[in-house]
Amino acid sequence: MKISTLEYVIREVFFSLRRNSWMAVASVSTVAVSLFILGMFMILVMNMNRMAESLESQVEISVYLKDEVSESSIEDIRGMLESMQGIDKVTFVDKAEAMSRFEERLGEQKFLLEAIGDTNPLPNSFEVKVKHPDMVKAAADEIAKIKGVESAKYGQDVVQHMFDITRLIRIFGFALMILLGGATLFIISNTIRLTVFARRKEIAIMKYVGATDWFIRWPFLLEGIVLGCFGGVFAAFALRLAYGIVTNKIYETLAFFPLIPMFPFIGYVGIGIMICGMAIGAIGSTISLKRFLKA
Amino acid sequence: MIQMKDISKTYENGTIALERVNVEIGKGEFVFIVGASGAGKSTFIRLLFREVLPSSGELIVNGHDVVNMDNSEVPYLRRGLGVVFQDYRLLPDKTVAENVAFAMQVIEAPRRRMQHSVNAVLDIVGLRDKYKNFPSQLSGGEQQRVAIARAIVNNPALVIADEPTGNLDPETSWEIMDIFKRINASGTTIVMATHDKHIVDTMRKRVIAIEGGKIVRDEAQGVYGYEN
Repeated sequence: MKISTLEYVIREVFFSLRRNSWMAVASVSTVAVSLFILGMFMILVMNMNRMAESLESQVEISVYLKDEVSESSIEDIRGMLESMQGIDKVTFVDKAEAMSRFEERLGEQKFLLEAIGDTNPLPNSFEVKVKHPDMVKAAADEIAKIKGVESAKYGQDVVQHMFDITRLIRIFGFALMILLGGATLFIISNTIRLTVFARRKEIAIMKYVGATDWFIRWPFLLEGIVLGCFGGVFAAFALRLAYGIVTNKIYETLAFFPLIPMFPFIGYVGIGIMICGMAIGAIGSTISLKRFLKA
Repeated sequence: MIQMKDISKTYENGTIALERVNVEIGKGEFVFIVGASGAGKSTFIRLLFREVLPSSGELIVNGHDVVNMDNSEVPYLRRGLGVVFQDYRLLPDKTVAENVAFAMQVIEAPRRRMQHSVNAVLDIVGLRDKYKNFPSQLSGGEQQRVAIARAIVNNPALVIADEPTGNLDPETSWEIMDIFKRINASGTTIVMATHDKHIVDTMRKRVIAIEGGKIVRDEAQGVYGYEN
């Protein structure tokens, strides 16, 4: 593109936005609101993902050993566990520690243990962490086959439930993003359609005097991108504010809640939202112009 | 300059606008297209700058195969033509000079050439002193002169005019025709659809008469031939 054409395009965009300033304000606002909602859902879905990952990563396999297993066999079993594929960490918990943990968990109801006297019915066990949550079931099945292992448990139902919920949230969030993206596209393309309609005579004259489709398209395309970008910038600032408020509120009551820290996360979301706005603006303009550019 | 061979045009609603039209117009000619309303004059004119496509036949305009060209080539066909309409079609928010320069701007002409060419064509149409005015500040005749200046600023080989004097009084119409005569004298081909009997009869240029989509008369120094 020639410099003079670039100047022309920028001037046209500026004039058009000034001429239809109220229209521009209205469409930037609607785009900002849509992108804000879109961004909120993005943040929600990403945090849900993180939470699910965090919960998933905490899934452990408890490997209970038979009482008759000797100390040397325990070491053998540890060796076998550690050499298995996909195993992250193996921790031994002996009977005594298991009992003290149990006592701790019972808290004020510790007196219940008096009923069993000095005997310790809890078995020796290993706590096994796997590298990827998907591997839990396979690893547990494998471990259960090891000689000397009584059972390998990992709370199958809970894990499955969590996987289901996470998947649902991801699908719902994705569908909602598509829906809101479509709505934003509709808003921008309508605004540009009005601009195009207001300037249809000009477009016709441009065609009579031999302007190429791209020459005609550029100012509208840039206008759409500018509207989308401004909408995106406002939405990004609003998201930053909102996320700050929400994280503060949550941390006040749940200090260890696994939220994604504000920085640099919100910066990435902001940039993503702006790019999203600009892309939607460009696509919206292209759709609006299509009819007017038929030769 | 223009070769029409067996050109027919039937619109989607079934109206036959042109039927097997054969015409050749040479470089530098001045041709009037005459005929009653609905005879096919406008379709004839609009075919030349590919605003409509013929249903069948061959059409060469200024070296371009209008029928078989790709849509992306249409701008390049139009850059070699100047088009003038009855309703001027000026941009109301641009000044006289800007309206004329616009035709150069959209084809990305060099800026230093733009100023020179705009002044030159405004001299030809006699509006140099009103270059800063907006169309609303001009009379009908002046607006049409701006439209002519815009049509010729890129030095087209062919100027197509669709009823350019249709909205003007007789005196102003003659001023406009005088400009067209001068443009033609410089070697530019002019094809003009008109209803103006007086102008056609006085100028005695080539006249092509269309009736019911067919050419019924083609005379080198013709007359209008209809009662207004």
